[in-house]
Amino acid sequence: MFAGIAHNLTIYLAMSTVFFVFGLFTILTRRNAVGVFMGVELVLNAAAINFVAFYALKADSAQSSPWLDGQIFSLFIIVLAAIEAAVALAIVLRVFGAKKNIDPDQVMELRG
Amino acid sequence: MMANDSLITLALLIPAFPLVAYLIQAFVGKRLPRMGDWVSVSAIFVSFICASIIFANMWSNFDPNWVVTAHWTWLDSGTAAHPFKLELGVRLDNLAAVMLFMVTLCATLIHLFSTGYMRDYDGKESDGYRYASFFAFLSLFTSAMLALVISDNLFTLFMFWEVMGLCSYLLIGFYRHKPSAANASIKAFMTTRIGDTLLFIGMLALFTQIGSFRFDDIYAAIEQGAFGGETLGFATATFIGFLIFCGTVGKSAQFPLQVWLPDAMEGPTPVSALIHAATMVAAGVYLIIRTFPLLELGGVLPLIAYVGAFTSLFAAILAIKQFDIKKVLAYSTLSQLGYMVLAVGVGAYTASFMHLITHAIFKACLFMASGAVIYAMHHEQDMRKMGDLRKRLPITYKAMLVATLAISGVPLFSGFVSKDAILVSALAYGGFEHPEHMFLPIAGFLTAGLTAFYMFRLMFMTFFGEAGDKKHVEHAHEVPWNMWLPLVVLAGLSLSVLFSGSVTGGLLGHGDFVLGGGNEWFVKLIKAPVVKVDEHFEHLLHQAHLPGMIASVVLATLGIVFSWLVYKSKTIPAEKLAKLWPNFVHKAIDNLYYFDWLYKDVFIKRVFLPFSRLMARFDDLIIDRILVDGWKDVNAVVKTFIGKFDDTVIDEVLVDGVGGSVPQYLGASLRTLQNGKIQRYLMVAAVALLTIYLLIGVL
Repeated sequence: MFAGIAHNLTIYLAMSTVFFVFGLFTILTRRNAVGVFMGVELVLNAAAINFVAFYALKADSAQSSPWLDGQIFSLFIIVLAAIEAAVALAIVLRVFGAKKNIDPDQVMELRG
Repeated sequence: MMANDSLITLALLIPAFPLVAYLIQAFVGKRLPRMGDWVSVSAIFVSFICASIIFANMWSNFDPNWVVTAHWTWLDSGTAAHPFKLELGVRLDNLAAVMLFMVTLCATLIHLFSTGYMRDYDGKESDGYRYASFFAFLSLFTSAMLALVISDNLFTLFMFWEVMGLCSYLLIGFYRHKPSAANASIKAFMTTRIGDTLLFIGMLALFTQIGSFRFDDIYAAIEQGAFGGETLGFATATFIGFLIFCGTVGKSAQFPLQVWLPDAMEGPTPVSALIHAATMVAAGVYLIIRTFPLLELGGVLPLIAYVGAFTSLFAAILAIKQFDIKKVLAYSTLSQLGYMVLAVGVGAYTASFMHLITHAIFKACLFMASGAVIYAMHHEQDMRKMGDLRKRLPITYKAMLVATLAISGVPLFSGFVSKDAILVSALAYGGFEHPEHMFLPIAGFLTAGLTAFYMFRLMFMTFFGEAGDKKHVEHAHEVPWNMWLPLVVLAGLSLSVLFSGSVTGGLLGHGDFVLGGGNEWFVKLIKAPVVKVDEHFEHLLHQAHLPGMIASVVLATLGIVFSWLVYKSKTIPAEKLAKLWPNFVHKAIDNLYYFDWLYKDVFIKRVFLPFSRLMARFDDLIIDRILVDGWKDVNAVVKTFIGKFDDTVIDEVLVDGVGGSVPQYLGASLRTLQNGKIQRYLMVAAVALLTIYLLIGVL
């Protein structure tokens, strides 16, 4: 029943890689802080997919745990992503208040 | 007859059409001719045709156990020893087929009605966008309702249940420039959320017991005697059953969460007809009908019966004093939903579902007829300003009269058949089998009399007597065809021949030409799964049949006659009637039994707000002042020491001495890297990571 997922692990990994790369690309190229955070969400979700996929791979073997660790971890990632979005949007609002602009390149007070 | 596969495909198409219409309306609706109302109307009409085909298949099978199911795995994780699997599926049985037919029919007519009703209000060029989004919401709502009906498991049912909650929020608050409408939509959303949360907890508890949300698995588990043991000190089935019923209490506006439904009348009238008559509130009852075996096993039925009886009686009393035409209908909806819940509680599975269907039809008709009156009166809803509209709105008047006769339970109309079945079951249960539950039939019969009284009060105040506001009444004229046609169709379906079935059953060769007596197609087709037939109770039902029927007819007649005396011939002045009751009764009714006051002023203002303030205080005093500011003081002490150390050892000896020259040179070259552009940093990190990875690969 669960063999299907294990044998198709590559598909899941490939998908999460695609997510990760798209996410990274978004983070690196956006000129809008909100867009950057969207990219971060993609990267986080790529990680979540990997957790579940590797859990499923392990599920058939003898050391499988009954606690669905992979899924639980994904849930934590989702929760963390939600919190991160809340904090991030608050920061974006403050930055906008200060600079009337949310281009990450404009926020460079910490430059050397 | 069709193959099962094609039936499943057809069932999936039914919610798909309105969903597509929603997407079209949401994205390009405002650019289409007539702002795309025809997209929504035709989509739901096609769904109606699909539902009719399914209904015809059900009819040609004519088998109480007819079930077509199909399900697919959605999520499959967990291990062989600890399975964790979510499935999606479609379940078509007699219940779903009848429900689909009713919902698509009512929804089609209501969509058609809306093309007339909403054009007057929001179809102006300046506000055209809202006309398109109204139909978008309407389509999304209908799609969710239809998907809920065909769901074969509680999980997808719950998902669509929530989509409907969202749409009802959007539609109730459609006149968003009115603060009352905006508040009503929030109130409806938040109140039902309480029930939904409890329902979700119940579903999770169910899942831990049987590892599935599918109705088939639930029924099978009950038959195999699962649900032993206790959860949180209650028998597990009781615990789960109670929480599932809480979902119904929220969605179907039963006591004590009934407060949102009357306020929801702030929405446009077609919305009231769709959400508060035909679909969403019926979905709550549909849920407890679907999970009936579980509720029966858990022994929560008496509680359900009392909640239903209580709601129906007390809402009926409230309806008597209302002057807003839609408020009367809102309270009558509460009251009739109470009937359905009462019926489930006394074990009258079939009667409850039948009343759900008949009520949906005549109440949709009543709401739309009131909408037609409001439209003709230029958005005047106060019945005191109406009157004498009989000749000015002849078609609306006749359709509304038929629906009023149906809801009052007059023989030859559909409401009589279903209400009678409920009252007889309540009598057999509360009167004969368990005399200690005498309140149930008494409340039921009282409500029947009150219903006839207040519904005819509405008719007399609206269509007879003197015009209250002469200017508006004299200018009122019959509504256009797309508004009266739905009324006529629904009024036609409110006749009892379609349900009493001594005619239909006989004509179609499925029964005898005997009045009543269980020959109705409805009684033959809709049977509770799993639950065994109780011979003794069946016998009591037969005994209760005649007295119950006589009592309900007598009470309905009394109610109508009394209403005629008070509001038509005015033999008994209404003021005198009002004075018969002590002042506190009036006060309680005017304040809706103080429920709003209890929730808003006591729970929210006295409990939640002080608690929130306490928490804010805690945050301010303990966390901010003591912890954060206290840490500051500690740091101040540490700082002086560190500062001295820094000044003497680090700065003077190390920095100025040793590091004077080297970092200056390095810093000048490296500061260009630290340019403050965070994306550049990340790019460097990514490239570095990639390089390391490639190097490892090469080596």
